[in-house]
Amino acid sequence: MIKMRWVVTGLAVALIAGVFVLGCGSETHVDGDTPGGSFSIQGSDTMVNLGQALAEHYMYEVNARAALSVTGGGSGTGIAALINDNVDIAQSSRAMRQQEIDNAAANNVEVYEFIVGQDGIALAVHQSNPIERVTAAQLKGIFTGSITNWADLGWSEGGNISVYSRQSNSGTYVFFNELIMDGEDWADGTRFMPGSSAIAEALTTDRQGIGYFGVGYVRTPGNRVLELAQSEEGPYISSLESEKVNSGEYLLARPLYFYTNGVPTGLVRHYLDWVLSDEGQNVIMSTGFYRVTPEYEEHNRRILGGLQ
Amino acid sequence: MAEHSATNRIGRQTNLLLSARARLIRRILGLIGHTILILITSASALAVFFIFIYIGKDALPFFGIHVEYLWDGAADMLGGALGLLRGDVTGFRESLGEFAEAIGRFRDGLSFTYTRGRLTEFFTGIDWYPSREPGEFGAASIFVGSAMVTLGAIIFAVPVGVSAAVCLSDVLPFKLRQYTKPIIEVLAAIPSVAYGFFAAVVFGPQLLRRGGTLLEIPVWALGVPLTVIISVVLGDLLTSKVDLNKRRVAKTLVTILALCMFGAGLWWLGSAIRGLQFNSGQNALNASIILGIMALPTVVSVSEDALQAVGRDLRAGSYALGSTRAETMMRVVLPAASSGICAAVILGVMRAIGETMVVWMASGNALQPRADWFNFTLPVRTLTASIAADMGEADQVIGSQRYHVLFAMALALLSFCFVCNLISEWAVHRTRKKLAGE
Amino acid sequence: MQLETRKLLDRAFSGLSVISVLLMAGALIIILGPMMIRGLDAFFFRGTTDWRIMMMQEFARGDIDAVEAERAAIWEVRRPVFEAIEKFEAEIEEGNVGREPGVPRALARIEAQAQYGRPLRDLKQHVRELLGPFPSDTPVMPRSKYGATRWDLALVHFQNVMYVEKYTHTDPTQMGALSYEPRSEQFVGTPVEEIFPYIEENLRAMMNPKFTFYPQFLTDSSRDANIFGGIWPEILGTTYLAIGAMVFAVPIGVIAAIYLVEYAGDNRFVRLLRSCVSTLAGVPSIVFGLFGLAFFINGIGVSTGRSVLAGSLTLALLVLPVIIRASEEAIRAVPKSYKEAALSLGASKWRTVLTVLLPAALPGILTGIIISLGRAAGETAPIIFTAAWALAPTLRPSQVLTEGTRALPWNIYNIATEHERVEFMRHIQFGMVFTLVTLVLSLNAIALFLRARISKRLRG
Repeated sequence: MIKMRWVVTGLAVALIAGVFVLGCGSETHVDGDTPGGSFSIQGSDTMVNLGQALAEHYMYEVNARAALSVTGGGSGTGIAALINDNVDIAQSSRAMRQQEIDNAAANNVEVYEFIVGQDGIALAVHQSNPIERVTAAQLKGIFTGSITNWADLGWSEGGNISVYSRQSNSGTYVFFNELIMDGEDWADGTRFMPGSSAIAEALTTDRQGIGYFGVGYVRTPGNRVLELAQSEEGPYISSLESEKVNSGEYLLARPLYFYTNGVPTGLVRHYLDWVLSDEGQNVIMSTGFYRVTPEYEEHNRRILGGLQ
Repeated sequence: MAEHSATNRIGRQTNLLLSARARLIRRILGLIGHTILILITSASALAVFFIFIYIGKDALPFFGIHVEYLWDGAADMLGGALGLLRGDVTGFRESLGEFAEAIGRFRDGLSFTYTRGRLTEFFTGIDWYPSREPGEFGAASIFVGSAMVTLGAIIFAVPVGVSAAVCLSDVLPFKLRQYTKPIIEVLAAIPSVAYGFFAAVVFGPQLLRRGGTLLEIPVWALGVPLTVIISVVLGDLLTSKVDLNKRRVAKTLVTILALCMFGAGLWWLGSAIRGLQFNSGQNALNASIILGIMALPTVVSVSEDALQAVGRDLRAGSYALGSTRAETMMRVVLPAASSGICAAVILGVMRAIGETMVVWMASGNALQPRADWFNFTLPVRTLTASIAADMGEADQVIGSQRYHVLFAMALALLSFCFVCNLISEWAVHRTRKKLAGE
Repeated sequence: MQLETRKLLDRAFSGLSVISVLLMAGALIIILGPMMIRGLDAFFFRGTTDWRIMMMQEFARGDIDAVEAERAAIWEVRRPVFEAIEKFEAEIEEGNVGREPGVPRALARIEAQAQYGRPLRDLKQHVRELLGPFPSDTPVMPRSKYGATRWDLALVHFQNVMYVEKYTHTDPTQMGALSYEPRSEQFVGTPVEEIFPYIEENLRAMMNPKFTFYPQFLTDSSRDANIFGGIWPEILGTTYLAIGAMVFAVPIGVIAAIYLVEYAGDNRFVRLLRSCVSTLAGVPSIVFGLFGLAFFINGIGVSTGRSVLAGSLTLALLVLPVIIRASEEAIRAVPKSYKEAALSLGASKWRTVLTVLLPAALPGILTGIIISLGRAAGETAPIIFTAAWALAPTLRPSQVLTEGTRALPWNIYNIATEHERVEFMRHIQFGMVFTLVTLVLSLNAIALFLRARISKRLRG
C-alpha cells in the first residue's frame, strides 16, 4: 500500500515538474536591435485568423524576440478591452463608435485608428443555386424578410430562402445591418451563426441558403459568390475581384482597423510598421483579404507621421 | 518538538490529568482550529453567495434596478463613519449627503412600470435585436430554444437512463455490472467540447445527408419488438373473459388484428421519419441527441442509487407473492424509488440546460422562426450559447443594456438550476425518509 | 393475464433494460470511435514531399541533402504542369489564342480572357493547393509556400483539379442534381488540356507519399494559424489551467470534507453548507465563466485581463464540489476501527485526522482529485472569458499570474468553427480532440484503477 502511494506521488510530482521544465525550455534568444517583449491583440472574429497569421509570421520571420497573444471574441470585445486598457491593439472590423471613444477618453485611453487592410464581404449561396447576381434592394428584401422565395429572384424551383447571418457580436453583422438593411429588422428565421466559417460551411450544404461573410472564408468548391450592384443598371461586381474591392467600387467592402492606446512605440510600433509594409500586406492578401487602399495608406501615414 | 514526537513514537507517557491552564490553551486552540475549519468549509457557500451577488449585480440594471448605487452609498457611508471615528465630522456629514444622493439615484432608476415592462419584454418578447439603439431584448425564443433542446435531451435520456439503471441494479449479474460501470464513467468524463465537436463535425453532416434513414433505424429496432409485445398482451387482456374453449382462437385473432394495426401505424411513422428533410446538420435535434447522451450518466447513476436504496426486503416480499421481476420493478420498486428518479430527471435537466459547448457548436444558433417553435429539424439558439457568443460585443465598460441582458439570462439560468437543485435535494431526502420509515 | 404472457412481459422488460445499456455502450463507441481513429491521422499519415520540405523549412528537421534531392526530382515531374499553364497564360496575354487571321491581337486577347479567364484562375488556384506555388508567385505565408503536405489532402485537391462540381436543373420540382464534370472540358483544344491526363498519370510521382510518423505533433508549436505544426502551447496551457485549479481547489476541498465528516454536527448551518456545495455543483459552466469575468477580473482584479490565474480560480470553483464529495466519501469509507484505535491510544482528534484518517483516505481523495483534474482540463465555457487566447506564446511558469494562454478545449472550438480553412484542417482538429480525450480518459483510468485497489483493500 505504502509503495503504491509513493509511486503515485512520485508520478504526480514528475508530471508537474516535467511540464514546468519543458515550459521553461522553450525560450528563444535572438540578438538584434529589434525591440523585444510581448503584447496582446484582441478583437474581431473575422480578423482573428488574419491577426494570428500576421502575429505568427512576425514572430517567426521578423522578430523572434516578440511574443504576441491574439484572440477573437468579436470587435466589441476587443474595443472593450482597449477601453479598459487590457490589450495593446484592438482589431476591429467596424469603426469605433463615438460613445466608445468618449468612454476610452474617460478611462485615460487615447484611441488611435489605423487601417491595415480591407475586407470584401462576400455574398454567397450554395453552388447549385442558379442565381448569379442581385441588387442592393433585392438583398435588403431577402434579409429583412420581404422576399422569402427564390422564385422572386428568378429561380422558380428554388423554394424558400433560408437566410444566414453573423450573430450580433460581429462587426460584420453591424456593418451589413447598417449598410444594406438600413438598420431594419432581420427576416424571421434568420440563422445567426457563430462565425464566418460556420456560414460558409452551412452554405456548402444548404441549397436554399444565402449568407454573407468575410471573403477569406469562401469555400471552393461549395460556395458560389454572388455579384452585387447598387441598382439594376449595374455594374455587378463580385467580392472576388480584388481591384474593384480595392478601388471602393464594391458595395460591401470595408476597412479593417487596428486601434491602439496612445502613441504606438517600441515593439507595437515595430509590429504596426511591419503590418503596413509590403511584406505585412502580402500576408494580409494571402489570408484572403485585400491590401490597404492608397487613400487609407495616406490616412495611416498622417497619423504615424504626426506622431513622430 | 522533535523530542516530543520521538517519545510519541515509542509511546506517549503524558500525565492524563492536564493543568487548568493547559486545558484552557487546548480549548482555545481547538476553538481557533474549529473556526478556521468552518471558514474554509464556508468557501463554497461564500462562492455560491458571491456568484449570486455578482451575477445579480450586473443583471438587475437591465430591469432598471441599480443596486450599485446602494453599493456606492454604503461605501460612502462606511468611509464617513470611519472618518467620524477619527473625529472628522464634516466629512461624515458630506458622506451622509452622498448616501442620500445615492439612495435618490437608486429610487429614480427604480420605476415599477419600467421594471415590469422590461420583465415582460424579456420573458415574452420575440424581437431580439441587442445591437440596435435602443436595443430590443425579447428573449422568449431563446428561452424556447433552451427548453426545446432540454426537452429533447430528456425525452431521450430518461427512458434509456432509467431502464439502464434498472438493468444495472436488478437485471445484470454482479460480475457483468462491474464491466458496465466504466461505460457510464467514460461517458461522463468526455469533455463537453469533444461532444460538441462530434456533434458539429461528425454527426451533423451525417444527419444532413441521411438524416431520415439514420433516425428510421432506431424506430424500427424499437418499434418492431414493442409492437409484437403489445399485440400479444392486448390479445391476452382482451380475451381474458372469453370462454376457455374459444379462447385460443380468439386470442390469436385479436393478436393478429392488433399486430396489423400497430404494424401499419409503425409503417406510417417510419416512412414519415424517413421523409424528414434537414436543411442544416446543426439543429435542435442534433443538439438534443448529444445532450441526451451527455445527461445519461447523471440520470443512470442517480436513479441507480435510488433503486438501490429501496432495499431487498421490498423486492423479496414482492417475489414471495409470486410476482415476476418486471412486475416487482414496475409495481413495487419503481414507485418506491419515484422521488429519487424524479431527482435523477431534474439533475438530467440541469445538466442539459446548463451545457454550453454542445449547443453552441451543434444547435445552429438561429433564433427560432416564430411560427415554428418546437420543430426539431430547425436550428435553435439557447441561453448558454447566447451568453457565450454575445458577450463579445457587449460593452463591458459602461455596462450597456446588452451586457446586462446577458447577465439577466445567466441569472435566470442560475435561479432555475438553484430551484431544481433544491427540489432534487428534497426529493432525495424524501426517498430516504420514506424508505427508512417503512 | 396468462402466465406465459407475464413471462413474455418479464423477458421483454429485461431485454429492454439490457438494450438500453447496450445503447449506451453503442453511443460511447460511436462517439469515441471517429475521434480516436481520425485523431490518429494527426500522428500517422502519408506525408508528401511538400511535407518534408515544410518540416525542413519551418522546423529545421530532416536530412537537408535528401530533402533537396527529393525536391529537385519532384520539381522535374511538376514543372510541365506549371509551364503549360503559364505558357498558355502568356499566349492569351499576347493575343495568340483562338485568333483568326486578320483579327487584331487586342481583340483576340479580350475574347480569350472572357472565355478562359475565370476557368484558368480556378485551375491555377487548385493546382497551387495541390502542387505548391507557381514559379512566378511570391508566396509569403507558409500555407501558400507548400502544396498538399498530406496524401489524403492531395487526393482531395487532385479531385478538385480534375473535376468541376456541376449542378443540373432538369426537373423543376427537384433541386439541382450534383455531377462531376472533367475540368479538361473547359480547355478543349488548348495546350492546357494535356496536363490533366499528365497529372492523373504522375500524381504519385509528383507527391511521393511516404508513410510518416509525427509524434512531434504533441510538442511542436503551431505555424500559420494552426495549419502546420503541433499543439504544444495548447497542451501546456491546459496543463497550467488544470493544475492551477487543483492548487486552489484541493486544500479547500479536502479541509471542507474533513470538517463536514469529522467535526460538523447535524445542525441548520451544516445543512446549509451541504446544500451550498450541491448548488455549486449545479451551477452551469457558462455562469462560472461570467462570474469569473465579473468577479476575478472586473471585480477584485486578480489580473488586468485574461490570465491563467483567473481561469484557474474559476475552474477551481467548478471542481470544488467534486473534490469535496469525493474526499467526504473517502474519509467516510475509512473503517471506524482505525479512528477508534487512534483515539483510544490517546491521540487528539486533530492528530487522528492528520495521521490516521487522511493517510487511509488518501487513495480515495486522490481518485477524486484525478477525476477533477480531468474535468478542469476539459472544461471550455469557464475559460472563454477568463483565460483563453486563440494565439499566445508558449507560457513560462512565471507568466501564469498575468498572461492568458491557449488551451486545448478552446482552440478545438476555435479552429473547428472559426477558421477559414476548416475542412483542410480536420486532421489537426481531430488530433486535438484525440489528445484532449486521451488525456482526460487516461486520468480517469488511473482513478478507476486506484478505486479498484481501494475496494479490494477494504474488502480485505
